Amino acid sequence: MPLWTYVTARWQALLMDSYLHASAVVQATVLAALIGVGLGVAVYRSPLGSAVATALTSAILTIPSFALLGLLIPVLGLGVPPTMVALVLYALLPIVRNTVVGLNGVDRSVVDAARGIGMSRLRVLTGVELRLAWPAILAGMRVSTQLLMGIAAIAAYVKGPGLGNLIFSGLSRVGSVNAVELALVGTVGVIVIALLLDGAYVLVGRLTTSRGIRD
Amino acid sequence: MADRADRIRLFAQPVVVLAVVAGVLVWATTRQLDDIEQRNINFPTLLELTWQHLLLAIAVTAVVVLVGVPLGIVLTRRWARFAAPVVLTLANIGQAAPAIGVLVLFFLVTASTGFWVAALPIALYSLLPVLRNTIVGIRQVDPTLCEAGRGIGMSASAVLRRIELPLAVPLILAGLRTSLVLAVGTATLAFFVAGGGLGVLIDTGDKLARYSVLVVGAVLAMALALLVDWLGGLAEEFLGPKGLR
Repeated sequence: MPLWTYVTARWQALLMDSYLHASAVVQATVLAALIGVGLGVAVYRSPLGSAVATALTSAILTIPSFALLGLLIPVLGLGVPPTMVALVLYALLPIVRNTVVGLNGVDRSVVDAARGIGMSRLRVLTGVELRLAWPAILAGMRVSTQLLMGIAAIAAYVKGPGLGNLIFSGLSRVGSVNAVELALVGTVGVIVIALLLDGAYVLVGRLTTSRGIRD
Repeated sequence: MADRADRIRLFAQPVVVLAVVAGVLVWATTRQLDDIEQRNINFPTLLELTWQHLLLAIAVTAVVVLVGVPLGIVLTRRWARFAAPVVLTLANIGQAAPAIGVLVLFFLVTASTGFWVAALPIALYSLLPVLRNTIVGIRQVDPTLCEAGRGIGMSASAVLRRIELPLAVPLILAGLRTSLVLAVGTATLAFFVAGGGLGVLIDTGDKLARYSVLVVGAVLAMALALLVDWLGGLAEEFLGPKGLR
């Protein structure tokens, strides 16, 4: 069957898999951002804490995703739980690192000024420091999202949702009709979603960056 | 901060990795093992799979260095500079492709199995960091240094060999470290196309519900990746030009 006929015949199912893939990645990125920014805020004032957090999260990033997913099977079983845990863990490093770098990049005199006009420590953090660090944090989230696209495809091995399932069914049908089409559609689908999400980040960046530091 | 994190990893990483591997191996070999476990958890098998895994990573690295560095150098020459953005865009899109998809597609399209069927797509997938860092590394060399080199009578190739490349080495090494980690990680997927490696143990353990086999495979794969990354860190620390250290 020509590729085009294949795609049009299964349009709905493909759209569903694409949606599930994107949804898993976006949810994991958001969750990782909540945890990662919290972690970054907790450690950014201590050089040692920052170093330990960076070292730990970058060590996690080094672990092969297939090995981590495998290790999670005995603990969490199959399906969504191991997929989400793995995705969130891998998304942490870029976000934590960029949060720490972004917060440390905030001009001290700006913080002093904010304190001087009577803002509390918390107000300074949420109203000044995090806002100024936001572009850096968002850049970290963007890197994490790109990273997760590929890992989510591997997560189909532990029965996770998304386009990886197409690739694996292509693999299991090796030699028969549609094997190449399945793998091709799955792979290209991931690339397309990755590019779309990357574009979405540019838009989100425009809309959420404070006016004073927008370029 | 980054320097300090690097130093922590340089010291802590090998210690933690060796301790965990030793612990898991002792745990796995001192238990009462059934038939299937005995066939998978024994030192000859573990050694062979680890070696396959390492061999894949070495082959991938060789291809990446032999292709990525020369290609990066060519793309910084004046006559080919216009092609650099095109190649980098293509490589970036390629990087967005899922590793498992690239691996499976290559296998399905070539309709063959074995070492190179796994190694070539992994190499393609791991190429970008070295390519990009070679280009960036050479571009960031101060042009006045190159002019000074030409001024004292060096040929263009001598400038490349004795000024541009040595100054780009730190970045190229950083790219190589990223590529290596990618390669070791992706090599766990090689078993899907009958390429061997430690992924075999993970899959066997999962399929036959012998979690001890799975855990040993996963821990060895993790340990290998962390050790390779550590060696890459050492190389970055000690192989750069002396003047820049």
